[in-house]
Amino acid sequence: MIVSWNWLLQYVPLEMSPEDLEARLTACGLNHEGSEAIGQDIAIDLEVTSNRPDCLGHIGVAREISAIYDVPLSLPDPQPPAGGSLDATEASLKLEVPEMCPRYTARVIRGVRVGPSPDWLVDRLKTVYASKQGARWEPINNVVDITNYVLLESGQPLHAFDLNQVAGRQIVVRRANKGEEFLAINHKAYTLNPSMCVIADRDRPIALGGVMGGADTEVSNETTDLLIESAMFAPLAIRSTARALTLFSDSSYRFERGPDPSGVDWASRRCCELILDVAGGELAEGTLEAGRCDPDREPIVLRLSQIERILGIEVPREEVERILSSLGNRVEGESQESLTVVAPSWRRDLSREIDLVEEVARVHGYDKIPEDRQIPICASSRSREDRVADRIYRALTAAGFDEVVTPSATDLAASSVFSPWTSLAPIQSKLPMLRGADCLRKSLVPSLLQVRKTNENLGVEWIELFEIASIYLPTPEPHAEQWHEERKVLSFCSGKDFFAVKGVIESLLDSLGIAAPLNITECSDNFFQSGRGAELTLNGSPLGYLGIPSPTAAQAFSLRGPVVVAEVSFAVLLAEAELVPLAKRLSPYPTIDRDFNFEVDERVRWAEFASTVRQVAGEHLESIRYLETYRDKDRLGEGMKSLVFKVVFRKADGTLTGDEADKISQRIESACGKDHSASLRS
Amino acid sequence: MALDEFLAELDQLAEAAAESFASAGDASGLEALRVKLLGAKNGQLKGLQKGLARVAAADKPQAGKHFNQTKQRIEDAFALAAQRLESSGTDQVGSDFDATEPGLRPRLGHLHPITQTIQELKDIFGRLGFRVAEGPEIEDERHNFEALNIDPSHPARDPLDNFYLSAAGYAADSEAKGPRAEVSPWLLRSQTSTVQIRVMENTPPPVRIVSLGRVYRPDTADATHYPMFHQIEGLLVDTDVTMADLKTILRVFCSSYLGEEVEVRFRPSFFPFTEPSVEVDMQWQDGWVEMGGAGMVDPNVFRAVGYDPDQVTGFAFGLGVERLCARRFGITDIRELFKNDVRFLQQF
Repeated sequence: MIVSWNWLLQYVPLEMSPEDLEARLTACGLNHEGSEAIGQDIAIDLEVTSNRPDCLGHIGVAREISAIYDVPLSLPDPQPPAGGSLDATEASLKLEVPEMCPRYTARVIRGVRVGPSPDWLVDRLKTVYASKQGARWEPINNVVDITNYVLLESGQPLHAFDLNQVAGRQIVVRRANKGEEFLAINHKAYTLNPSMCVIADRDRPIALGGVMGGADTEVSNETTDLLIESAMFAPLAIRSTARALTLFSDSSYRFERGPDPSGVDWASRRCCELILDVAGGELAEGTLEAGRCDPDREPIVLRLSQIERILGIEVPREEVERILSSLGNRVEGESQESLTVVAPSWRRDLSREIDLVEEVARVHGYDKIPEDRQIPICASSRSREDRVADRIYRALTAAGFDEVVTPSATDLAASSVFSPWTSLAPIQSKLPMLRGADCLRKSLVPSLLQVRKTNENLGVEWIELFEIASIYLPTPEPHAEQWHEERKVLSFCSGKDFFAVKGVIESLLDSLGIAAPLNITECSDNFFQSGRGAELTLNGSPLGYLGIPSPTAAQAFSLRGPVVVAEVSFAVLLAEAELVPLAKRLSPYPTIDRDFNFEVDERVRWAEFASTVRQVAGEHLESIRYLETYRDKDRLGEGMKSLVFKVVFRKADGTLTGDEADKISQRIESACGKDHSASLRS
Repeated sequence: MALDEFLAELDQLAEAAAESFASAGDASGLEALRVKLLGAKNGQLKGLQKGLARVAAADKPQAGKHFNQTKQRIEDAFALAAQRLESSGTDQVGSDFDATEPGLRPRLGHLHPITQTIQELKDIFGRLGFRVAEGPEIEDERHNFEALNIDPSHPARDPLDNFYLSAAGYAADSEAKGPRAEVSPWLLRSQTSTVQIRVMENTPPPVRIVSLGRVYRPDTADATHYPMFHQIEGLLVDTDVTMADLKTILRVFCSSYLGEEVEVRFRPSFFPFTEPSVEVDMQWQDGWVEMGGAGMVDPNVFRAVGYDPDQVTGFAFGLGVERLCARRFGITDIRELFKNDVRFLQQF
């Protein structure tokens, strides 16, 4: 809301400097956005929150000033003289949609002389409009300028129709017909639908109710008879109409927020008074009116103790009363402990005790509230989620992975590339989050691949990425309580090889104190290269997926280099993590180790082989250290490989002898021979 | 000869040898010492070796082992001395060791600046006694609006200002006759205040929590807006919480975050879930910087979660993480945060 300094002077004395006024208004709730000198005047731009439509007019702002500075407020009391009474044939009104337009009133003025506005009027409007629209702003004519003036004065939008252009001299407030065409005063055509409220005459819409007037009934230099509309429109209907047509006006802005219901008649009288003044003519006796919007004001009891209870400071009773009265509240009753207050019609945001507490607080001044209270201490331990996340952060940054944050929605193509957790279609947002991105993620992997692509294009060499975020999975059998599942996952995308990423996951489990081995089974998802995808489980719980994307999948992201991806469930890590391990007693005795080199069939899996070794090695086994898998067709033959590893032994209660180690080695040799047809290579 | 005696002689010799090698001033002096100690014919060690023969047969393995270890110690001491003399005499220009070559740097990963900011915020509020609470990102209208005192006519509920959701097989529209038709629609949460409701629904007062996370609003992405962003939301409810407590907590927070004492200021504002509602500004260099919104929990919110507003009072605040993060790291365009250029991430 832009207000004019000179205009405000009509209602309140301004003995302060503009800077002081701007600062105090800001402190009181009308945030100062900027000021501009316009001729001899100052245009002051104030931000008005949506609960304060009363401040969308100069009078409302003046009332705030009167409360803040404790100065008197003087308001006009328009009583325009009326002439011959209104005849039913001169104009008629029918209100069909009280749900969209709770109240409609109109007055008729006959025989006006439309022409240029007087200087005082131009000056007032110019401060506001030139500041808003730039120096190009021009006044329109005395009648239209007056309607705008009263809107800026009171916050109540008005409209003047050229009554002689209103077909049948009938005003019908109704829903638009489907597909009905309307030419607005901005000379643009709009196609309407029944969710919109129109002011129509006998034949056609002549205004889009509360939003904009129509070109056909616009007041022109030829106009002699006027119909002055002052009405109330329902905020939701106005908002959806303005949105649907992308047609926003000063009027729709105010009706969306709800002007003073008692202001309808005041604004109408004020407008007529000024038109008679400036453009002459005769006001018809009587008002066309329909509908009601009573300002339904219940008394509010304000317990004075509540002020200190909420604000933490005491405000003297006289100050409380002064503030409330100066804002237009009527104190109807008093007791030792409380005031009974009726809030003014223009303050529909005041209906409860707490609303009055806020009024007292903001006018009394938030700067009076201290900021050095003793707050009692209280225990707060870090959540297990945060502790686990921190371990993950530490392990992965140490492993050289950078954390990324990517949007929670992707486009359908990316969403379909990889979806290991569900085969259902993604949950969609009705508006796309970013261009085309209207699918909530079912995996973070596609986003990471996109980031990898971005970085490849930027010539970044080291692109090792991870993210912890939610994925959103639809449930197969939706019902009221279970419509979707939100699941936090940790995802990786690396340019290294499969085992490097697997190793990072293993080290991560280690750093979380998870002793259970990472179990691998083949994953047949065709996102992965055949045989290069793995499903991971931990203690029987599905942990996630790891693998090398197929060339087709990599192609979908136009990736140049090799890539490995993984995605694991945060919940499983959270459940399995052992964040505070207990110390184990360590054997002080030396180790003995033995190297093995077993020839086996290519189909033998290391995990199974190692498990055989582990089982027979017995209690003295300290570790099995995998060294390499050696493949050589010439030496080993087709379909064979050799597994090279070191086994380390240590005894808890003494030094293990070479003989003992040899005996265990023999057991290993024979068990591996038996279970895996393995033979030691010499 | 007793074993103990033999072992002691060996140790003495080793110590004396180490000392004299260490004090050798030049190569010829060192060579003389070597002959004296380790000489094959008349060296002192050789002399001691003869004692080995006189040790009792049972002790011989141990004596022999110790002798060998002693010999090794003396030889090591000699080698060390020789190396010392050699390097001190060598011209540095000819050295094959260049300490100015770059170190082998392990490549460390970096946490995203948003995460770093969130960790800092959790840290500070943790010290102030606030526990971290989490909540879902997909919310129903009750938690995102109704319980927060945002009635159906409020502009914040406009479908064009929210990410309402639908899934195949059932629609979120009330018009559709899917299995979900009778249930209020789901949407991506537009604020973390939803977590307040979830916590209060499940916990009796007192409550002292912060919640952090992603929130969503259909804004066009530009330097200061992104349709997905992060918020920190704080809530303190007890029998006697006042706005002075709110101001105190926020001042202590700002001072902790900046590492110096700062002032905060309140400007009146409007949020449906708090009353009174304020914008919070923090002193920054010469001016005031907007921090976020705050206020006293609205009695309707307390009623919605089953608290009695005559028994408890509370405050809530919400701050934008991106703004704090951008200011902290000098980021001028928040879209950078979501582009994830590794060169950008590696700066922090």
